[in-house]
Amino acid sequence: MEQNPYIPITMKLVKNMCETEDKLINTFTLAFLNKEDEENFKYMPGQFAELSAYGQGEAPFGIATSPTEPGIIKFSVAKVGCVSNALHLMEEGTMVGVRGPMGNYYPMEEFKGKNIVIIGGGFAFTTLRSMAVYMLDEKHRADYGDITVIYGARNPGLLLYKEELAEWAENPNINLVTTIDKPCDGWCQRVGFIPTITEQVAPSSVNTYAVVCGPPAMIKYTLPVLEKLGFPPERIYTSLEMRMKCGLGICGRCNIGPKYVCKDGPVFSMAQLKELPNEY
Amino acid sequence: MKISKEKFGQAFDALAADYQIIAPVSEAGGVNYLAVKSFSEVKQDYLNSKLPPKSFLFPQHEKLLTYKKEGKDVTVKTELQVEKSVLFGIRPCDAKAMLLLDKVFKNDEYRDPYYYERRDNSVVIGQACNKISPSCFCSSMGISPASSEGSDIFLIDLGDSYQVEVITEKGKALMAGLQELSELSADEQALVDTIKSAQTSSKVDVATITAKLDKMFDSPFWDSLHEKCLSCNACTFSCPTCHCFDISEEVHKNEGSRVRTWDGCMAPLFTLHGSGHNPRDKKKARWRQRMMHKFNYFVHNNGDIACVGCGRCIKSCPVNLDIRQVIDGVNNAELVVD
Amino acid sequence: MNSIIEDIRATARQLLTDGKVDVVIGYEKGSLPLSATPCFVRSPQDTDKLIWDETCENNLAAFSTLTQGKKAIIAKGCDSRALVVLLQENQLVRDDLYIIGVSCQGVINKKKIEAETGEILEASINPGKITVKGMECDKEFTFAELKDASCQTCRYPNPVLEDIHIGGLIEVAQQAAVFADVTEMENKTDAERQAYFKEQMSKCIRCYACRNACPLCYCKECFVDCNSPKWLTGGVDSAENLFFQAGRVLHLAGRCVECGACSRACPQDVDIRALNRKMSKDVFNMYHHESGISVEGSGALNEYSADDPEAFLVKE
Repeated sequence: MEQNPYIPITMKLVKNMCETEDKLINTFTLAFLNKEDEENFKYMPGQFAELSAYGQGEAPFGIATSPTEPGIIKFSVAKVGCVSNALHLMEEGTMVGVRGPMGNYYPMEEFKGKNIVIIGGGFAFTTLRSMAVYMLDEKHRADYGDITVIYGARNPGLLLYKEELAEWAENPNINLVTTIDKPCDGWCQRVGFIPTITEQVAPSSVNTYAVVCGPPAMIKYTLPVLEKLGFPPERIYTSLEMRMKCGLGICGRCNIGPKYVCKDGPVFSMAQLKELPNEY
Repeated sequence: MKISKEKFGQAFDALAADYQIIAPVSEAGGVNYLAVKSFSEVKQDYLNSKLPPKSFLFPQHEKLLTYKKEGKDVTVKTELQVEKSVLFGIRPCDAKAMLLLDKVFKNDEYRDPYYYERRDNSVVIGQACNKISPSCFCSSMGISPASSEGSDIFLIDLGDSYQVEVITEKGKALMAGLQELSELSADEQALVDTIKSAQTSSKVDVATITAKLDKMFDSPFWDSLHEKCLSCNACTFSCPTCHCFDISEEVHKNEGSRVRTWDGCMAPLFTLHGSGHNPRDKKKARWRQRMMHKFNYFVHNNGDIACVGCGRCIKSCPVNLDIRQVIDGVNNAELVVD
Repeated sequence: MNSIIEDIRATARQLLTDGKVDVVIGYEKGSLPLSATPCFVRSPQDTDKLIWDETCENNLAAFSTLTQGKKAIIAKGCDSRALVVLLQENQLVRDDLYIIGVSCQGVINKKKIEAETGEILEASINPGKITVKGMECDKEFTFAELKDASCQTCRYPNPVLEDIHIGGLIEVAQQAAVFADVTEMENKTDAERQAYFKEQMSKCIRCYACRNACPLCYCKECFVDCNSPKWLTGGVDSAENLFFQAGRVLHLAGRCVECGACSRACPQDVDIRALNRKMSKDVFNMYHHESGISVEGSGALNEYSADDPEAFLVKE
């Protein structure tokens, strides 16, 4: 039979790490079992994969690693249902299924020569990490202008990728701003919701693209700020979440208008979203 | 050219030795497509089947893979064994619907191997409709009761014989077994002409519906349309072009299989996210999705309306929500200017 | 019949004009011969759409919980019983409901017609007679021949709860609850029953028209949709289908009002009623209970009394 896009490859769960204080989000590191699998899994920041917890099912998760990090891929998963719970409970060394990479990706070509401001809230930061790491890689850094990251969570314990954040704070190639919702002991960075902080620290919109990922409410209030700062809809990108099953644009579940979020997305510009029905 | 039903039956029975033959069979409550071994089992003279023959290309329950867990390891297997099949007696609406499904199960990036393994290994023997039901409206949907689009071989029932037309190479290969073809008499030709020029009495106007729907997503038209809908999947499962499916696992201890099963956008939990958010939790949104998908989104993506006018949804709907009335309603709806 | 229609329309018109209700849920003429379809009338001018005859087969109580605001509902006997159960179960607020009661002789089951005439082209209903022109043949039927199975065993043709009654009352034919159809099934051998239900359940396509047409199936998450625990797989073999149907019947124990909406809704002619009827018989025999008769009452399985039969618990 021909290539079967419904069959996952098998990967080994090499690290299952609790990422947040409330223990709701774990980051899984999966290793490719052989070189051929890795060759066939060429991906770009913004893409996702369907992770299989055999016995429970499959669910789509954004890939948190960048293709510049060889041998492994990482996913950060919130415990919300059967599949995510099963993944959380997995012991290191367990074999899981992975189907991917799927979907479109952040327009890294279009971003070349431009400044980028990455705005993330909560655990929507996964593919934003992928993009930031990709751009910071020495092979690519010169392709892009200034990189600003504005990342916020309810409290410090809920921030993902604390190791990377610590590194970026010291890295002159990236301007990192972190924020939490309310003041907290031991926190000396900014305090405030993402829309407010964005208005305060966002770089000039001239020659700049914005990529925003987060809960619907955060996006809803951040967009007007970006528009006020002069970002046109063609230069604001986001990544959408949707209930998915096949991930191939066939089963009909994840559409917004004529577009399938799994295949025509999940990355969309605000200009593209304006053309689509408001149903997501 | 024509062949007597007697001779055709013999060729049919011979085919049954090498092919799985799916044909219309009489059952309590109507006609359905089932596997048969002999032409004598085939129902003649009926309107159309209760359920469309799509389940032979896209089964309601289909195994995608099986797995076995041993400790931390897992072995995953997939086997798809498909028999060479002949789908016999397929009406123009259902044959066209298969062409539409062909576009669903293949896109610019992926091709569904389960659907296409079955599709590539089946030959469609279509048949014209000699009688037309008042709930059929295929003539408005780009085909007609005698359209051979989508058939590999096309038959017209002349009573004690069939007029036979080869449409595709696949059909030609299957036809090689048919012998003793003869010319039609003048009367038979007249009958064929009548059947070929027949139209469905029920008509709808879909000439501008896609363009109209482009502007109607936020229209108040949808506010009352959905109220009597029960949100079941009766229309979805009886529709030859509906294709939505769910993927789930069936588990027994450490082994199991991943299966796909028919699903439908009418179901309230169809779009429910793991977070609890549901973009289409209102019935209004779901009915709008059905109409928009079939008459607008599918046209934008695939160039065709995803409805063939077979009328099964009209007959199976428990509350008589008639898609023809919805089409009329869309055509007559006033556009709200922003 | 005509004066009933006039009265229904006049009542609806008055209710809407006076602002007593926001919507009248009734029936209008369907698009197929011998079909009625539910309609939601919100303005007095539209009340002329409302009809009433033997084709009004949907149980409109199924729409009562989903419709916002104050609503008037046309209710036959069985429909009013469903409304009573919904009130008992706190799914409806009595003040938001205006029940337009109409007594009912029964509804026509079109499948009985189509079995003989093929698809119906034209039909007319006259007193006691239904004349049909079909794709296969034409035929004249008596109403009795076409009466839906649920209507044949109906003991509540008159609404049990209503705010206004339109038309006359109907005398109840049978005084005692009879379950001859259930006894017939019970008298079959195990093998015969098993074969029967296997055949019936193999027809089910799990469209859930039965569940959704039922006014008492209102759970936001039905047990079939639950995946933690996962009760049902997506399989549609007769075993899975029977699990669904039997599960639904058990969830309706002491609640089902035997309106037959489920059976009539089924596009595949599955004999859903057979299971519901058995359940009704058992509930009646064990608890002398018929559901939805009085608002002050309660579901059979919602109450307990010390002399409830315990044959299934205690060996006698």
